[in-house]
Amino acid sequence: MIEIQRSRIDVEAVVNSVRRDDAGAIVVFLGSVRSDPEVRALDYEVYKPMALRTLTELVERAKEKFGALEMSIVHRVGRVPVRGDSVVLACAAAHRSEAFAACAWAMDEVKRIVPIWKTEAGPRRPRAKPDGNPRGRPAAHRKVP
Amino acid sequence: MQVQVRLFATYREIVGAGQLAWTLRDGTTVGQLVDAVLAKYPRLVGHGNSMLLAVNHEVVRSDSILREGDEVALLPPVSGGAR
Repeated sequence: MIEIQRSRIDVEAVVNSVRRDDAGAIVVFLGSVRSDPEVRALDYEVYKPMALRTLTELVERAKEKFGALEMSIVHRVGRVPVRGDSVVLACAAAHRSEAFAACAWAMDEVKRIVPIWKTEAGPRRPRAKPDGNPRGRPAAHRKVP
Repeated sequence: MQVQVRLFATYREIVGAGQLAWTLRDGTTVGQLVDAVLAKYPRLVGHGNSMLLAVNHEVVRSDSILREGDEVALLPPVSGGAR
């Protein structure tokens, strides 16, 4: 399951999508929006066709590199409030060591190469304006999830 | 020929649009297109070093030659999050 969606992520559905008879371990990562002073939510923006393609490729690489049996990644776009899950990654493998390794590697890759950007949204932190004078903290500097 | 230029996040906010139609001479490279975009929107210039380039959803080098109808994306650094 590779999806990018505006609605809340059904974590159980993501987990169930990787279940297999030969999988003895399933590792699940939830990236949640963390509270910060003046931050009420994060706004996620995506280049969807490229993001879907990149996610599909990295899942295949995770399977080859770590022997993962199945991997699903679902990412939210639009506004995600504090405590909301912005990304869910589930990885099934025969044993937990492969599942943990593949999950950690894939999540790092999601943050490194998938074209998704976030901007903090809060009452006293306005969005950047089209005049090129961004007053918000640049999304790239935000270190969550 | 004409290509579509896609802009995201900070770049979209600077330019004030997420998509631009751009007319080019045949044989123009991605790098030459970026130079033209930066000339028209000089506030983007400071972002040039960290800009990633993609054509039709695939990362490319700046010497790649563009073709009619290509979709060229100028991509800011992605969300990050080292921990």
